[in-house]
Amino acid sequence: MLTDLRVSFFLASRGILRGSRGSLYLTVLIIAMVFTNMIFMPSIILGFIKVAEDQIITYQTGNIIISPHGDERFIEDVSSLLEKVNRIPGVLRASAHYGTGVTLRYKGNSIGSTVVAINPDDERLVTDVYQKMSDGDYLADGENDEIIIGIHTSGHKDPSLDMGVTLGYVKAGDEVIVEYTNGVSKAYHVKGIIETGSFYADQGAYITWDELESVFDRKVDYATELIIKTHPGTYEPEVKTMLYRFGIREKVQTWQDILEEAMGRAVQNFSMLNSITVVVSLIIAIVVLFIVIMIKTLNSRRQIGVLKAIGVDKNIIIHNYVFQVLILTTLGVIVGTALVESMVAILTVYPFQFPDGEVTPVVAASDLVNNTIMLYVASFVAGYIPAWQVANEDILTAMRS
Amino acid sequence: MITAENLSRVYEMGKVTVHALRGVSLTIQKGEFVGIMGASGSGKSTLLHLLGLLDKPTEGRIILGGIDVKDLTDRQRTRFRLKRLGYVFQDYALVPELTVEENVFLTSMVRGTPKEEYLAQSHQILDRIGLSDRLSHKHNELSGGQQQRVAIARAMVNRPEILFADEPCANLDSESSRNVLDLFKQINQEMAQTIVMVSHEDWHKRYFNRIITLRDGEIISDDPPS
Ligand SMILES: Nc1ncnc2c1ncn2[C@@H]1O[C@H](COP(=O)(O)OP(=O)(O)O)[C@@H](O)[C@H]1O
Ligand SMILES: [Mg+2]
Repeated sequence: MLTDLRVSFFLASRGILRGSRGSLYLTVLIIAMVFTNMIFMPSIILGFIKVAEDQIITYQTGNIIISPHGDERFIEDVSSLLEKVNRIPGVLRASAHYGTGVTLRYKGNSIGSTVVAINPDDERLVTDVYQKMSDGDYLADGENDEIIIGIHTSGHKDPSLDMGVTLGYVKAGDEVIVEYTNGVSKAYHVKGIIETGSFYADQGAYITWDELESVFDRKVDYATELIIKTHPGTYEPEVKTMLYRFGIREKVQTWQDILEEAMGRAVQNFSMLNSITVVVSLIIAIVVLFIVIMIKTLNSRRQIGVLKAIGVDKNIIIHNYVFQVLILTTLGVIVGTALVESMVAILTVYPFQFPDGEVTPVVAASDLVNNTIMLYVASFVAGYIPAWQVANEDILTAMRS
Repeated sequence: MITAENLSRVYEMGKVTVHALRGVSLTIQKGEFVGIMGASGSGKSTLLHLLGLLDKPTEGRIILGGIDVKDLTDRQRTRFRLKRLGYVFQDYALVPELTVEENVFLTSMVRGTPKEEYLAQSHQILDRIGLSDRLSHKHNELSGGQQQRVAIARAMVNRPEILFADEPCANLDSESSRNVLDLFKQINQEMAQTIVMVSHEDWHKRYFNRIITLRDGEIISDDPPS
């Protein structure tokens, strides 16, 4: 058996080394392309998802979000809850949000929006929005009559960049009117404009908690949500479990939960798209290798007959061709990996620009391994079948061809 | 060494039935150099293929080295050909991707002979046929006569019990033919190699020590050369 395999490998290596160079290069190139195709598309999609994840965590929800349970409207007792949450291992900082529907007015434009009250000192420790002020400054604790507005609400200088209805180019230092549902209507000094690149974060408007209390004219110890930043490297679902264990009764979701909820369908579609790409690539690989080996074997029918005549077992002959495809696949995978890596390198320096940010391909090691394995299985099949067919031909029939 | 009893081979081609061999019986002894002669289409190749286990008779039986070959499985027949028989074909049939040396040691490799041994064996035999300076040449870098001598070396390297050759000189000029036939003769005499060779050239007769003549699938004479 080992001797037979050694002979097969010997024949295969000679077949490749001394066979047609052109066909060798072309076959390797095609397999490399197929491999690239299998890896590249999913890597872009993965890159896309990664950007969405990063933005959700960095500008929107932090790592974990706590919201009111069931049909409650608010999280009660926020100050003691914050204290409790901040003491839980793995939690870096929690920040309370109170969101309320308002109408914003500026120079005759008015739009419905949501104003979120925050404690800027807490918020700075949870989201990076404060680093993304395109104009003016972020809020500070205790400030009154100040508001910061997201670029999708304030509007760009060049209206063609706007996505949807805006106030029509509000700048830091301008004055906007905010009408609350309780009847209070108040002029605010625009302290800054937010431009994070994340669509949701760039739609909001923010005031301080103190400002909210002055509008409501009472202490507000309840919130619409709590967002939490965990320590770097912490596994969020563990912190979620911890939160429940520490007696949190509200609804706790990690960013993974949120993403699944928000992008569930999209992610499903993506993975469907990936599967289709992989299946199509594999079929191309199978067909190409099948044809290559079929041509090789059909051209060698006589010679295969001769080999059998002089006593070479047909399995040695079949395995010769199987080894040839496996060698071709190995070369293809090596070239393909080099191609993928260089494309990734180029796209890391020059990323794709998407509305939600810069997308660079993310190559998952598991994809590399899985696709390589699938490619090997496919090429084994594609080599075995034609070789088997020709090697089983009657000796004299083969020799007469 | 080989005994064939009442061999017949019928080819069915649609409605046409060809009786390529009709009841051939013969016995070949060790050390004989047998020429199978006859007109084209008389059944020479068919007989050689049956004796060489490349084909199966429609009727009759073949005893090879004491074994009734009917009892062998396909795999055992392959093994048998590998270990005990040698073949030389009309068109040399060297493996194009292999060098001279590799072509010669291929079957030894399949037999599991250690590398040093099969290298030594193949070098020795190539030396003997005068091609030791062509070890790493490819088949298309050799003349027809040289290729056929490599093919003979390939067939001989395992010291087969019987060497079969089907018109080995048909593609060669008379000079090369003579070379090849001299080589066969030499092998036959010096190594007592049993050889069964098909030919339809009258002047080959003087090389054989027994001539079997076929006509229409039957033996019409079986004599030493006159
Ligand atoms: N595979 C085959 N199918 C049909 N007829 C065949 C086949 N091989 C040989 N024959 C016929 O059998 C007869 C003997 O052929 P063959 O043994 O090749 O003759 P020779 O070698 O003496 O020229 C011929 O009539 C030939 O046409
Ligand atoms: Mg013939």
